[in-house]
Amino acid sequence: MRVAFAAGLILLVLRAGEVQLLQGRRYAAEARRTRTRQLELPARRGTIYDRTGIPLAFDQEVYRVNVTPAELVDRREAVELLTRHLGVSRRYVTRQLERRYAWFRGPFTASQVAPLQTVRGVYATSEPQRMHPQPMLAEGVLGRPGTADRPGDGMERVMDSVLRGQPGHAVVLRDQFGRQYESPGRLNQFPVPGSDVYLTLDADLQDLVEQALRSAVDQYRAIGGDVVVMNPRTGELLAVASWQRDEHRPSSPFTSAFQPGSTAKLFAAAALLTDALVSERDSVWGEGGAYRLGSRVVHDDHREGWMTLRRVISRSSNVGIVKFAARLRPERQYVMLRDFGFGSPTGVEYPTESGGTLRRPVQWSSTSAASLAMGYELAVTMLQLTQAYAAIANGGVLMTPQLVDRVYRPDGRLVYQRRPRPVRRVVPPHVATELREMLRGVVAEGGTGETAAMTSYEVAGKTGTARRVVNGRYIPGSTTATFVSLVPADDPQLVMTVKLDDPELVYSRATAAPLTRLMLEQLRAARTGVIERARIAARTPAPASTPAVRPGAVPYVVQWPLPPDTSVAGTTSVPALRHWSLRRAVGELHRRGLRVRVVGWGAVSSVDPAPGTTLPTGTLVTIHGTEREPPRSGSR
Amino acid sequence: MTVRGRFWIVVWSAYVLLVLAGVVARQTAAWVTAGDLNALREEHRLLDVTRNDLIRRIRQARSRAVLVSRAERLGLSLPPDSQVVELGLPDPVAR
Repeated sequence: MRVAFAAGLILLVLRAGEVQLLQGRRYAAEARRTRTRQLELPARRGTIYDRTGIPLAFDQEVYRVNVTPAELVDRREAVELLTRHLGVSRRYVTRQLERRYAWFRGPFTASQVAPLQTVRGVYATSEPQRMHPQPMLAEGVLGRPGTADRPGDGMERVMDSVLRGQPGHAVVLRDQFGRQYESPGRLNQFPVPGSDVYLTLDADLQDLVEQALRSAVDQYRAIGGDVVVMNPRTGELLAVASWQRDEHRPSSPFTSAFQPGSTAKLFAAAALLTDALVSERDSVWGEGGAYRLGSRVVHDDHREGWMTLRRVISRSSNVGIVKFAARLRPERQYVMLRDFGFGSPTGVEYPTESGGTLRRPVQWSSTSAASLAMGYELAVTMLQLTQAYAAIANGGVLMTPQLVDRVYRPDGRLVYQRRPRPVRRVVPPHVATELREMLRGVVAEGGTGETAAMTSYEVAGKTGTARRVVNGRYIPGSTTATFVSLVPADDPQLVMTVKLDDPELVYSRATAAPLTRLMLEQLRAARTGVIERARIAARTPAPASTPAVRPGAVPYVVQWPLPPDTSVAGTTSVPALRHWSLRRAVGELHRRGLRVRVVGWGAVSSVDPAPGTTLPTGTLVTIHGTEREPPRSGSR
Repeated sequence: MTVRGRFWIVVWSAYVLLVLAGVVARQTAAWVTAGDLNALREEHRLLDVTRNDLIRRIRQARSRAVLVSRAERLGLSLPPDSQVVELGLPDPVAR
C-alpha cells in the first residue's frame, strides 16, 4: 500500500516535471493563443476646431452589431431588445435571425449598443468614424480623411500627419463568452491621439455666409456662387463658402479660375498711380460709350463724357480704363499684376490650388493690354482676388492667406501658432489710400456698387460683370457677377469677395452687391466677434444731412397718431421714391406698412434700404432729403 | 505509515491547497478588476459619445438654417442695417 502510494506520488511528480519543464513552452504558447489576442488599438484622430474652439470635425466611435442566433438564450427577448435599441423594424430583425449569422450594419451609437452588451450571442464591434456636428458646414474646406481606397482631401488631408496620431498595441484576455479584457499585467503600447487643429475660420460667420449664398443662388437663379472673407492685416481666412446648384459641377474658391472683369480695373489704376502716370485732374474722353481700338470696339454701359481716373473706377468705364492703361508699358502692367499675386498660387494651406492664368507680355496680342485692363485674358481664383484687394486694404502689403491658426498636442501643449506672413509691398501706402478712396466712390451714390451701401458705416468696393467662358468659348448672355468689398472703408477689418455664376439678372450691381450688403447686415446683427465693433462705433460718422434745428421747430414729419407696431405677417417692397416730396414719400411708405425716419428737407435724394428691397411690414425705412437746411416757409 | 508521517502529509497537502487557493483568488480578483476596468472604460466611452452627440444637436439647433426659419414663422425678421446701432462707450482711461 505504501509502495503503491509512493509510486503514485513519484509518477505525479515526474509527470508534473515533464509538463512544466519539457512541454511547458508548448502549453504556454497554446494558452496564449487561445486565451489572449494581440490587438491594434486605433488612435483617436485629432479634432478640427474653428478659431473660437467650436468643433467642426471629430472622431466618434460607432458600432456594428452581429448576432449568432444559435447562441441566443431567449430569441423573443433578443428580438425585442434589438428592435427597441437599434431602431430597426421587428420584421427585419426576425428575418435576420433566421440566418446562421445576423448582421446589423448601423452605425449605432454606444448608448444604443450598451443594453445589448450582456446578451449572450450579441456582439458589437466598434470603429472610429469622423463626425461633423453641423454637416455641410465648411465641408469644402474640411474635406474627408483618406481611407485605403481613396486619398483624403481638404484640411483632413493637409493636416493628416498631425491629426492621425499613432496606433497602439494591447494583449487582451478572452473569457469563455469571447468577451475581451485588457490585461493589466501585460505590456501595452498605448495609442497616441492625434493633435488638435484650430482653423482660422469662424463657424458663425461661415454659417451665415453659406446660408446667404444658398438663398442668393436660388433667388438670382444662378448656377452657383462663392464667397471668401479675409482679414486683410493678418491674412486669416474667416469664411470660405461655395455652393453649386448641380452638385456634380466642381467648383472651389481655391481651384476654379474665372475672368475677374471690372474688378481688375483697380490694378491698372494702381500701376498708374504708383508710377505717377496720372494725376488727380487728368481726364479722358468717354467717346459716348463706344471706342474703336484697332479692330475691336470697346463699349461702356453708360455714355460718359470727360472722366478722371476716380470717375472711371466709380462708373466702371471700360473706355476710360483702356485709355488710361495705354500709358502703361506692357511689362509694367504685367509686373503689377504679378505683384498683386496673379498667375501664381497664394500658398494657402490647402492640398490643391490653382495659380490662375496670366500670360507674359511676349504672348500678348495688340489688344491684350486693353483686355487685361478690363479684366479679360486673365483668369484668377477667388482667393487670389481677395488677397489682392486685401493688399489695398492693408496699406499696400500683400499677405499670404492662411487657414491654420494653431495646433495643440493631446497633452495641451501648443506646438504651432500662426504668424502673419507678408509677401511683398505692392504699392506705397499713399497709393493704397487713394485706391481705397476710389473704391468708396464705387459704393457712393451714382457708383456701380451703390446697392452695397450701408448707412451705419461706409463700405468700399468694386463691381465686376464679366462674360463667362466655358470650354474656351464665351457664352452669350452668361456672366460672372463679382463684388469685392472692404469693410469698413476707412479702416478695413474684412475683405469680402462675392461671386455669382450666371445669375439671371446678369449685373453685379443687381446681384453680388446686394448680396454683400445682406451679409454685412446679418454680420452686424450676429454675435460673432470677427468684426471689432468698438472700432466701428468709434468711427461711426454723424449723419451729414441732419439739419440744424431752430428751438421749437419740428424736425420730422410723421403720421399722427403713430401707426402701431405691426406684427402682421407680410412683406412689402420699398418703392422708388427719388425726387418725390418728403410728405408724399412718407405717405406712400406708411401705406405699405413701413415705419419711416426722415433726415433732411426738400425732395427725396436716397432711401435706405434701397428701392426694390423686400421687407417685412413694420420695418424702419430712412429717407434722406436733398437739403440740409429747412426751407424758409418751413414746409416739406 | 506512522502517525508522524501522516501528519506531515496532511501539513504539506494543506500548504499546497492554501497556495493553490491563493493563486486562484488572485487570478479571480484580477479578472474582476479587469472587468471593472472594462466597465469604467465603456462608461467613459459612452459619456464621451453622449457629449459629442449633444454638441452635434446643439450646433444643429443653433444653426441659421434652423433658427432663421423658426424666427420667420414667429413673425420675426433679421434687422436691416438702419435698425442696428453701435453704441460707443467712453474710454475708461479717460474717465
